[in-house]
Amino acid sequence: MSEVLRTRGLSKRFGGVVVADRVDLMLEGGRIVGLVGPNGAGKTSLFNLIAGTVAADSGSVLLNGAPIDDQPMHARARLGISRSWQHNRLFPSLSVLDNLVLAGRDPRDTSVTRERAMAQLEKVRMTQAAHRFPTELSYGKQKLISLARALMNEGNCLLLDEPMAGVEGPAYDSIQRVVRDEAAAGRAILVIEHNISFIKDLCDRAVFMFAGRIIRTGTIDEMVESAELTELYFGT
Amino acid sequence: MFDRGILLQVLWTSIAAASFQVLLTIAFALVLKVTKIWNFAQPALMGVAFYTLFVAVNWVGAPIPAAILIAFLVTAAFGFAIERFAFQTLRERGSESITFFIFTLIFAQLVIYVLTLAFTTEPVFLFANMMSPTTLVGGVVVSAWDVSSIIVAVVLTLALLVFLRYTRLGQYMIAVADNADLAEAYGISKRQSYAAAMVIAALFITAAMYLFGSKLAVFPELTLHMMIFAVVATILGGIDRIFPAALAAVGISLLQQLSVLVIDSRWQPLIVFSVLFVAIIFFPRGIRLPARRVVGDGRTGVGTAEAT
Amino acid sequence: MEFLGSMLIQIGIFTILATSFNLIIGYGGLMSIAHPIFFALGAYGSALATLTTGVPVPIGIMLGAGLATLASVAISLPSLRVSGDYLVIASVGFQLGVLQIIKNSEWTGGPGGLSNIPPLIDTTGPAAIWSYVAIVALAAIATILAVRRLVGGDLGRAITAMRDDEEAFSALGHDAMRLKILLFAFGSGLAGLAGGLYGHYFLFVTPEQFEVLYSAAMLTMVVVGGIRTVWGPALGAVLLQLLPSAINFLKLPSSVTGPLQGIIFTTLVLVFMFARPQGLLGRAPGAQVVAEEDDPLEVRVK
Repeated sequence: MSEVLRTRGLSKRFGGVVVADRVDLMLEGGRIVGLVGPNGAGKTSLFNLIAGTVAADSGSVLLNGAPIDDQPMHARARLGISRSWQHNRLFPSLSVLDNLVLAGRDPRDTSVTRERAMAQLEKVRMTQAAHRFPTELSYGKQKLISLARALMNEGNCLLLDEPMAGVEGPAYDSIQRVVRDEAAAGRAILVIEHNISFIKDLCDRAVFMFAGRIIRTGTIDEMVESAELTELYFGT
Repeated sequence: MFDRGILLQVLWTSIAAASFQVLLTIAFALVLKVTKIWNFAQPALMGVAFYTLFVAVNWVGAPIPAAILIAFLVTAAFGFAIERFAFQTLRERGSESITFFIFTLIFAQLVIYVLTLAFTTEPVFLFANMMSPTTLVGGVVVSAWDVSSIIVAVVLTLALLVFLRYTRLGQYMIAVADNADLAEAYGISKRQSYAAAMVIAALFITAAMYLFGSKLAVFPELTLHMMIFAVVATILGGIDRIFPAALAAVGISLLQQLSVLVIDSRWQPLIVFSVLFVAIIFFPRGIRLPARRVVGDGRTGVGTAEAT
Repeated sequence: MEFLGSMLIQIGIFTILATSFNLIIGYGGLMSIAHPIFFALGAYGSALATLTTGVPVPIGIMLGAGLATLASVAISLPSLRVSGDYLVIASVGFQLGVLQIIKNSEWTGGPGGLSNIPPLIDTTGPAAIWSYVAIVALAAIATILAVRRLVGGDLGRAITAMRDDEEAFSALGHDAMRLKILLFAFGSGLAGLAGGLYGHYFLFVTPEQFEVLYSAAMLTMVVVGGIRTVWGPALGAVLLQLLPSAINFLKLPSSVTGPLQGIIFTTLVLVFMFARPQGLLGRAPGAQVVAEEDDPLEVRVK
C-alpha cells in the first residue's frame, strides 16, 4: 500500500513540557493505526501538529510525499487531512446537516453537497437527525455525527480522536463498520482510543506514545503483553 | 550633525519624560498579565486619578501627600469596582473577548464624557505654579521634576518587582497569571489576585498622573491618547512580560523625544502610531533577546531581535 | 421641512454606519473602534477627489469608499495574522493616527476642515432635499438588504460556524482570516460610502466630526438595536438620532449637550450590555435544551 502521511522528527514543546519529541510516524492508505498511551502522552498534540493547529518547533510533515509544514490548518484540510475531536466540536448554532455541508469540498448548500452529507449521515445511521441541532442530541449521537462530518473531507488521511468515547450499544458496531469501510476505500486512518478491544478488533498496527515519544510500534497484542508498557499506561 | 550637549540634554529629558509612561505601561501590562484583559478602561482610571488630585489640590486645598492618598484611594476603589462588578460578571457569563473590549472602551468613554461635563475640554495643570527649580549638571539642565519623576518610577518599579517575587500575594498573582484554574486548584483565589492587580495598577496610575499633571496640562480625552503609548509598549515588551514592557516604554519615549531633532514637533504624536504598526507587523510577539534555543533547528517563530 | 429632511438624511447615514459596524463586530466578531475614521476616509477621499481632480461626484463617492476598503485591508491583514486582539489595537492606532494626520495637514484643510465640497445633487430647492433623502434612504435599505443576504446564505453559515468555533472551522478547510478580512473590508467600505453621502450633502467636513468618541455612538446603535440582527442597528440609528434632537429642545449650552449625549449613549450601551445583551430586536437566549441519553432524539426542555 502507498504512503499517505509521514512525520519526520516532529518536535514541540510548551515551556518545559515536551509534547512531541522527534516523532517519526508513517500511515499507509487502507491501513488503520491505533495511537495509544496514557493521558498526557501527547496523542492529541500529535494530531494538532499534523493538522496544523499548532506549529512544530522542528521536524516535518509530508502528505502524499510532499511537505506541508508551511501550510496553515485550512490548507492542510483542503489537501486531505481530516480530523475529529475528542469533544466533537460540532457547531452548536448550525443544524446537523449544515455542520456536514460546511465540511464539504464545496461548502455551498448545493444539492450535490447536501446529498453527500446525507450519505455520510446514512453511514452512521443518523439521517433522522439531519435537521436537529447538535445540543439536542446525546453525546454518543454527537460522536457519530462528528465522525460523519470528518468523512465529508474526501482526502485520504483521517485522524480520529477517541471516536468511541461515550458510545455504547449498536453505535459501537456502526462506528467499527464505518471506520473499516473507509480504510477499505483507501484512506489512511490514525485512531486515538483508550478502548483496547476496539483497537484490537480494528487496527493493523498500534503505536505507543509516552511523554511525547513513540516508544513502541507493533501489534496491540504485543503491547498488552508487555509488562513495561502496561506499567507506563496504568502507572503504579 | 548634532551637538553632543544637545544630544545629552534630549537623552536626559526623554528618560525623565519616560518615567510616567513607564508607570502607565506597568499598570496596563500588569492587569493584562494577571487578568488577561486588555484594560482599555485605563483612561477612565487615569482621568479619575488626575481630576481627584486636581480637586483635592485646587478646590479643597489639601496638602500634596493627602491629595495623593485620596486620589489613590478613589482610583483604587474605581479599579476594584470595575473588577468586582463588571469583569467578574462578564467572566461568570463566559463572555467573549469582544464583550470585554466593548465594555472597557465604552466605560472609558463614559468616564471621559462625565469628566468633560464636569471639567470641560480645557487643558488644566495640577498646580498654578509650574516652574520646577533647575540646576546645570555637566551642561545638562536637570529639573527637580526630572529627578523626582525618575526616582518615583524606579522606586515603584523595584517595589513591584520585590512584591511579585517575595510576597505571598505577589507569588499568587504570578501563579494566577500563569494558569488561573491550576492556581485555584491549589487553593489560590483568582478573584483576590485580579482585584490586587487592579489596585496596584491604580497606585501606578495615580503616581503617573501626579507626575504628568505637575508638568503638563491634562484634558479628559487626553487620557485615551496616553493609553496608546502603554499599549504599544506592552506589545513591544512581549505582552506577557511586565518589566520588558517598562523598558520598551523608555525606548519609545527616547525615540519620540529624539525625533524632535529631525521632524516637526506637530508630527511627534505620530511616532507612537508608527511604532505601533511596525510592532504589529514585525514584532507581534514583542522584541526579544536572542532566544534561548531549545530543541531542533530553533524555528521559534517571529521576533528574534536585539532588545531595546 | 428642511430640518426634517436633514434629520432623515442623518438617520439614513447612521443606519449605513451602524449596519456596517454590526457586520464587523456582531457577525464578524471583530472589535474595531476605527469605524469613524473609515467614515472620514470616505468623506475626505471623495471630497478631495472631486475638489482636486474634478471627477464627477458619484465617482468620487466610489473612490472614497474604495479608499476606506483598501485602508481596512491594510490594517486587518497584518494584525489579524497575529490575533483578533491586535485588530482592536491597530484600529485604535489607526483611528487616532489618521485623525492626527488630517488635523495637521494643509491638504486636508487642517483643523478647520474642507469646505466648498461639490454637492451630489443640487439641494437648494424645497423639493430637492427630498431627492437627497430618497438617495440616502435607498443606500441605507440597500445596505441592510446586502447584509441580510450576506449573513443569510452560504456565507452566513460559515460566519456562524466561525463564531461558534474558529479552530474547528479552520480544520474543516475554511480560511477564517480571509473571511474576517472580507467582512471587515466590506463593512469599512460601507462606512466610506456613508462618508461620501455625508460630505456631498453637508458640503463641509471637519476632523472633529470623526473623533474616536463617535465609535461609542455607533456601538450604542448596534447594541441597543440588537447586535447580530439585520434590522436592529437601523432601529438603533433612528432612536439615537431622535435623542439628540430631544436634548436640543432643552436649550442647554453646547458644552453641556455634547458630553451629555455621550453620557447617554455610553450608559445605554452599558445598561443593555448587562441587562439586555441581545438588544431590542434580538431574541432572548432560548430555553436550555438538554439531551436525553436513552430515548433516541428525544429532547427535554428545561
